[in-house]
Amino acid sequence: MTAAVLAQVVVSGALMGLVYALVAYGFQLTYATSKSINFGQGELVMVSAFVSLSLVNAGLPYGLVLPAGMLFGALLGLFVERAGVRLALEQKSEGWILMTIILGLFFLSAAENVWGRDDRPFPTPISSDPIHLLGVDITPLEISVAVGVFAVMGLVELFKRVTLLGKAFEAVSADRDAAELMGISARRAIMLSYGLSGMVAALAGILVSPITTVGPTMSSTLILKAFSVAVVAGLDSGFGVVVVGILLGALEAVTSLTVGSGWREAPGLVLLILALAVRPTGVFGKATIRKV
Amino acid sequence: MLRRLVLTRGPELAVLGFLAAIPLFVTNPYALGLLTLLAIYGILLIGLDVTVGYLGQVNLSHVAFLGLGAYAAGLVVVRLHGGFTFSLAAATLVGLVFGGLLAFPALRLEGPQFALATLSFATLTATALNELEALTGGAQGLSILRPPFLGHPLSASGFFWLCLALFALVWMAMRNLLASQWGRAFEALRDSPIATDAMGVGTYRHKVAAFALGSALGGLAGGLYALNFLYLQPQSYSYDLMVILLLGVVLGGRMSLWGAFLGACLVVLLPNLLSNRLLFQVFSGLGLLLAAYSGTRGLVKKTTRPFQALAPVVAMGLLVVGGLKVQNTEDWRKAIFALMLFSVVVGLPEGVMGFAAKALSKLFHLEPPALPPAASLDEVLPARASDGSSLLRLIDLKQYFGGVKAVDGVSMNVVSGAIHGLIGPNGSGKSTLVNVVSGLYTPTSGEMTLRGRLLPTGSLMRVAGFGVARTFQNLQIFSGLSALDNVMVALRGAYRTPMPLVLLGAARGEERKAQADALALLELTGLGVDARTPAKDLTYGSQRLLEIARALARRPELLILDEPAAGLAHPDVMRLVEIIRRIASRGVTMILIEHHMDVVSELCTTVTVLDGGRVIAEGTPDEVKRHPKVIEAYLGQAPAAGAAAEA
Repeated sequence: MTAAVLAQVVVSGALMGLVYALVAYGFQLTYATSKSINFGQGELVMVSAFVSLSLVNAGLPYGLVLPAGMLFGALLGLFVERAGVRLALEQKSEGWILMTIILGLFFLSAAENVWGRDDRPFPTPISSDPIHLLGVDITPLEISVAVGVFAVMGLVELFKRVTLLGKAFEAVSADRDAAELMGISARRAIMLSYGLSGMVAALAGILVSPITTVGPTMSSTLILKAFSVAVVAGLDSGFGVVVVGILLGALEAVTSLTVGSGWREAPGLVLLILALAVRPTGVFGKATIRKV
Repeated sequence: MLRRLVLTRGPELAVLGFLAAIPLFVTNPYALGLLTLLAIYGILLIGLDVTVGYLGQVNLSHVAFLGLGAYAAGLVVVRLHGGFTFSLAAATLVGLVFGGLLAFPALRLEGPQFALATLSFATLTATALNELEALTGGAQGLSILRPPFLGHPLSASGFFWLCLALFALVWMAMRNLLASQWGRAFEALRDSPIATDAMGVGTYRHKVAAFALGSALGGLAGGLYALNFLYLQPQSYSYDLMVILLLGVVLGGRMSLWGAFLGACLVVLLPNLLSNRLLFQVFSGLGLLLAAYSGTRGLVKKTTRPFQALAPVVAMGLLVVGGLKVQNTEDWRKAIFALMLFSVVVGLPEGVMGFAAKALSKLFHLEPPALPPAASLDEVLPARASDGSSLLRLIDLKQYFGGVKAVDGVSMNVVSGAIHGLIGPNGSGKSTLVNVVSGLYTPTSGEMTLRGRLLPTGSLMRVAGFGVARTFQNLQIFSGLSALDNVMVALRGAYRTPMPLVLLGAARGEERKAQADALALLELTGLGVDARTPAKDLTYGSQRLLEIARALARRPELLILDEPAAGLAHPDVMRLVEIIRRIASRGVTMILIEHHMDVVSELCTTVTVLDGGRVIAEGTPDEVKRHPKVIEAYLGQAPAAGAAAEA
């Protein structure tokens, strides 16, 4: 194996890693407001991708599919919040873990029956002819993934910092009770976070599908990696998920090349268990103080 | 007594006898296969209930232990030509060891992180079973021949009886465990992990042991699974099966052996349910009716929220409509599990057994068994000689949180046998100081010694082991347990039987002794009559006293009372003062944090005053009350002399 091959694999893997980072970012959004995450986030990615594919096949131009798909994802996110999360949060229980798993399973089964169990190609107007850049080949498609990931993360962060609604979101994240006393509805902030999270998931699906194809199995492969990224980075560091996402994507691609493609998920999972064992708050996360 | 035995053991024996008799009359191999699976899943679900029910965590790795156990047993038979018992022992051991290994990192975590760790482990296991082809045969699968049992080849009914006997044994062992200190500790650590640690019980230790035990049961079930099917494939132990197992435990009812049994019945019958259209329609129709009935009832009685009442009806309605419309229900199996599980989690969170147990306890009222007479207090809390020497010494103790100097160089000396007051305005660092001494925080710097020995830092559990007990300003009682059980959880040195013997039921004697000891402490604090009352139903004042009784169960050398009179009415405060005096008369040294100055004046010989994390005064209550710095800290700056003269 030459250095050139290795470099190529690392670059492609890192670009895939950005997609993991985006899905992981979706976890962070909901975790910030409600300390809950959607265990069915992978299914949200997959179902949104399938819906977008149907829109493409129906003849909708790509420029419209993107916002339509993201809107659909946001609606799905809101549904998950209403059906799976709100009751458990009101009861201050961790029932949302099981509930979001259940909803994910339902979406998966529905997708299997509506769109079939096979992987399908996702047509895109963006070219996949490689460009030679500093000794490695990169396709415009891969570049579009990177651009999309950074654009949406940047926009969401900007929204949180600049707009009043975004500041309300931040206030609930910082201290839910204090925010409620200031007249901010925590429930609405949580709904907003689930909507945004669903939107981000849909975008991840639309970006990654032209590269990987769309299929019901994409949910489980994506979500485990996104979990790894989110946990290793820490559930409160947007910068962290990008760094860890890139690293994990690269590591995974190298493992796949050297050990065997069946093992490509292993490094992420081992990292996840290790991170949980050694530093449960994540590499970039903040430690919390226990109080009595 | 006899009535109690009949009502509790009777149904168990009847069902066991019934199941055991079936092969004598039914020879249909398919039915026998289902019964065997029922026993195997029964063991599996009892194991899963340990984490999902008793520890209250979503465990997604149980299916991996089933797989590991199955492959361990299979490989022992195929590669090592091991016998029946050897292969089952190997399966159980593999479950125990891997369970223990996963538990060490995973159980430091809570909720979502725990679920993630177990999910990763399950996926890793599936990958390994698939990819280690040299060992497991990979996706090709692994065929085995069932070895003879103790030299005799087993018939189908023989194998069933063996599985059933193992199921009965597991059932009895779990019952013994849950009736012992272990069962109490499981409940306690769900209510308050911090208090469980502070009482020296060890949250982490109990969780790891429980998880390893549950996983060992998963391994055992896996071994039986392998010897039942005689063909192993990695994809049998999938996420789908994990969801079905969770469905079984939740629907049957968490924290219940009967619930696990009911769940196993469901898991065994599910495939038939899905393949038979009529059966499916009947079942889903019944589910819809049940959801509609309990939903309306809940709404009328206003015991449930509208969402809890409506969502299950919608989900079951979808199931009914789907059953009529869809060609092949098998294709939709995941959605069907999802809808069923959704309805149960939302509409029947306690499961069938939780629901039935309530109804049954109304029908057959059972008195709890009589308590033994209380032990003598001299035995439970032997009087200590107090020689007036130094017991606890703090030297320049500091605790910073980032830039906040909560405790900023406190030095203090607590004399043996004294009641040492610790006062100060709000935010002066009293509670932080107590949290540092009792091991909740690791101090930034400084030294703490108890009788000249360095006190451990940063571990409630190890400090508790040193003979320091505490109560909490914000109550940390084990609300689900009775007052008696609250005290029994904390009893120091009362439980010596090792876990394997506890499983065999050898802990009953020491249990009785512990009851007598705990009762003595409850009587000391005036709670003797409330021994059987659930702690959450006690009055606020009684809950505060219960915390003291529980801390005394540690037989502490130093007892830290963190604002015991906070929120108490005047008569209760008088009671409290009397009780603290009685405790002091037994030679227990105390640190008393209190805002009631009259209580402090009445009880304490020495008082230390904190402000801004520093000691500003120390002395007898009267000296301290007159100290200008203390007056300033509580009432603010006195007007300057010149200003007074002007006026």
